[in-house]
Amino acid sequence: MTETTKERVVFFALGVPMVMCLIVFFWIVAILSSGAGTLNFAMLTTSALQGGLFEMIVGTIYLLLGAAGVAGPIGILAAVYLVEYAPSGKITRIIDQAINNLAGVPSIVIGLFGFAFFTTQLGFGRSLAAGWLTLSLMMLPIVIRGTEEALKLVPPSFQEASLALGTTKWRAITATTLPSAAPGIVTSVILGIARVAGETAAILFTSCVLITRGLPKSPFEPIMALAYNMFVRIVAIGDPAESVFGIALVLFLIVAVFAVIAIVIRTYYRRRQPWLR
Amino acid sequence: MSKRNIRKTIFHVFSRIKEQPIELVLFLCASFSIVILFLMLLFVASEGALAFSNFGLDFIIGQVWDTNAGLYGAFPLIFSSVMVSMGALAIAIPLGLGTSIFITEVVPFSIRDIIKSIIELLASIPSVIYGFIGIIFLIPAIASVFGIYSGYTALAASLLLAIMAVPTIVGVSGETLSAVPKDYKEASLALGATKLQTLRHVILPIAKSGILASVMLGFGRAVGETVAVLMVVGNRAQIPVPPWNFLNPVYPITSVIAMQMGEASLYSEEYSALFGLGLILFIFTFIVNTIADIVVRREGKVGGRKK
Repeated sequence: MTETTKERVVFFALGVPMVMCLIVFFWIVAILSSGAGTLNFAMLTTSALQGGLFEMIVGTIYLLLGAAGVAGPIGILAAVYLVEYAPSGKITRIIDQAINNLAGVPSIVIGLFGFAFFTTQLGFGRSLAAGWLTLSLMMLPIVIRGTEEALKLVPPSFQEASLALGTTKWRAITATTLPSAAPGIVTSVILGIARVAGETAAILFTSCVLITRGLPKSPFEPIMALAYNMFVRIVAIGDPAESVFGIALVLFLIVAVFAVIAIVIRTYYRRRQPWLR
Repeated sequence: MSKRNIRKTIFHVFSRIKEQPIELVLFLCASFSIVILFLMLLFVASEGALAFSNFGLDFIIGQVWDTNAGLYGAFPLIFSSVMVSMGALAIAIPLGLGTSIFITEVVPFSIRDIIKSIIELLASIPSVIYGFIGIIFLIPAIASVFGIYSGYTALAASLLLAIMAVPTIVGVSGETLSAVPKDYKEASLALGATKLQTLRHVILPIAKSGILASVMLGFGRAVGETVAVLMVVGNRAQIPVPPWNFLNPVYPITSVIAMQMGEASLYSEEYSALFGLGLILFIFTFIVNTIADIVVRREGKVGGRKK
């Protein structure tokens, strides 16, 4: 066998796994969309007390926005420190390592911690606030890594030009680096949201209940969420899986919308900002 | 106020902040992750301490987990976790590495981004939905293919976990593959080597440790995955006979915690046993992730320049 045929055979063999991954993805989408029949528009705005999904959808959105509100600012500032200020030394390395380790903590352990710390120790109870904080811990590493990436892509000459005009470093960062990196930063926050949108294990003990009377009136009340509802109905109550098809589809759509928005923003700005090419 | 004015005001507020304090604030935000990790270890360990002091070594090597009988031997659970994750890796490694090599070396640049985005979407699908798909499709399929009564088996969990670990493996190994300096590749091609020879003798040796790290991270993900596994794994605390029989139901650590936390009363024996399991999980994934990190860092030195 000549080297070229060998090459063709091997590369073809390597292509098979990729095609399989794509097939699995589209096939999952196909299975989920086959449940579209069980869903109608009225269900989205009907209260859960009457068999609708309204409180679950709003509850999920509440959870996500709150978690992003906590993890977003902290994550962005942390990334600014790591990219712009951090001296290359031992402390920086430990911080870096800690972020990686936090990203690797299993969600159920984050849930246990959230229960022991936010729910019990701080006395938040099973509540929206406890869910925000717990989920924000899962979002944080994603936001930090994404923002770091975006900041590193901004050419140093932007900041240098600003510094040369006599500005301070922080002012140079806020005036040049952050605005230039803004699309990338927004993308990383949205990706963070997409990644935790369907998280179940972390909110299992910290913030969700199966049914509430209307929407929560304060952050210290428990809430309903799509993922939790799906999970408990199948696992604890023993409903047939087919009965939660609608919830699964709505949850998937929410996740997909966030993920696609993030990807579109990234691709669009990569084309528009010439220095990213 | 016009848009421009608002922007100007925000800019002024930001830029007035003095340099020193802002650097401190930024540093505190960055060290937040350390604080959280430390708190996590502290709380999970202190709640789980009772289990270790009550049952001693039996908590880890004990063969029977039966909360009704007050028996807390986590060995079958640890075995289940490792078994299911190993099974997942056996499928995910060829799938993930094949995909990432194919994407970086063969796929033309123009569609590379699209395929990467789809893999990224695969990572965003919530685990409860994977579990749902498992119940709807995988469980009946396994039952009919192998002619067994119930499809709720270790195999079902391994298959789902494999799909969930692929994006991690593709992401990390793809990153190292594309970080291999271009001139190494070009030098090899210029000497008349084929793309395949270049891949085998130049690219893979440099990216070796990054690939290893990606597999370890995938393993860490698989061990820590909860909801999808719990929904299809059958949840029976036993070691299969023979131990490699993937057509048996098992009961991984994560599933036990999620299933039993709800009924454990605060600070009871069961409660602390579940936190003890959490501690085992935390330490295990911490070690796996740290080793993966060290491997990647060492590669940064051996591989010479990064791009």
